[in-house]
Amino acid sequence: MALCDMSRDATMETLPLTEPVLLILLSLAGQPQHGYAILKDVERMSAGRVVLSTGTLYGALRRLLDDDWIERYEEEESSRGRQAYRLTPHGRRNLQLEIDRMKHITRLATLRVAMKER
Amino acid sequence: MLTLYRKLLRLYPAEHRELFGEEMIAVLREEIADNTNKKLMARGRFFAREISGVVTGALRQHLRVWFEVREGLSLVTGRLAMRNGFRFPKTTIVFMTLILACVVTAIKRGEDIAASVPNVDPPLPIHIQPVHSILLGGLPLFFAFFYTAGLIGWAILFALRRSGVHRLADMSGDQK
Repeated sequence: MALCDMSRDATMETLPLTEPVLLILLSLAGQPQHGYAILKDVERMSAGRVVLSTGTLYGALRRLLDDDWIERYEEEESSRGRQAYRLTPHGRRNLQLEIDRMKHITRLATLRVAMKER
Repeated sequence: MLTLYRKLLRLYPAEHRELFGEEMIAVLREEIADNTNKKLMARGRFFAREISGVVTGALRQHLRVWFEVREGLSLVTGRLAMRNGFRFPKTTIVFMTLILACVVTAIKRGEDIAASVPNVDPPLPIHIQPVHSILLGGLPLFFAFFYTAGLIGWAILFALRRSGVHRLADMSGDQK
């Protein structure tokens, strides 16, 4: 139980996530993706607002790999230089925590703004 | 652009380059293919974004390696999480303490000897400049010279990619 709390505390330290990191995780939430697909997905999801460079993408992927939020995924038909990544259970759990946090903020903000307007 | 990008990839630590170098080039190749039919301005923006991305990315990776600084995943921009870690053996602390104790003891003994020697009275007719005043003038210059020489030496080694940092990066790259 204590271990679980510690792990949760460690996760909470890394939240909130940056928008690029959040979008990368969301891109991997559905299925494993390789670098180029992630770039395009992030651009599409943010309606062109977040356009990552290759250097930025691989910096973020590196940190996520180091923190065990994502892992390399071996595709059956993978050509040279096309490495796919997928969320680990730990990464999925943290993504869910972040989504819950955002939901809470949104709910709170809606209530407060509505109170002010009355 | 690919040629320049390949050259800039050398700015990354060897370990990162080996892990992601080919992937980064493959992704960039697909992006270049995507951008060929775009307008000149859009291509210029793409070029600038990729070049600045690879340079800042390399800098961040070096920071991560050198100082064991980990850029947080969190939104707080510029917040850096430090990782604890000894960068030298703990025995070094013991030796440093021993050396400090020796220096302090030597100073104390020197003071005792100076106190035991009787004063010469009357003073010597020839004026001799006290040793400590010569040292005080020369010591900072002496240290500054060696400090500068050390810095220049390190900069040369770093430019030649032969510094300890590079060797460690190469070693960790080989291990992977």
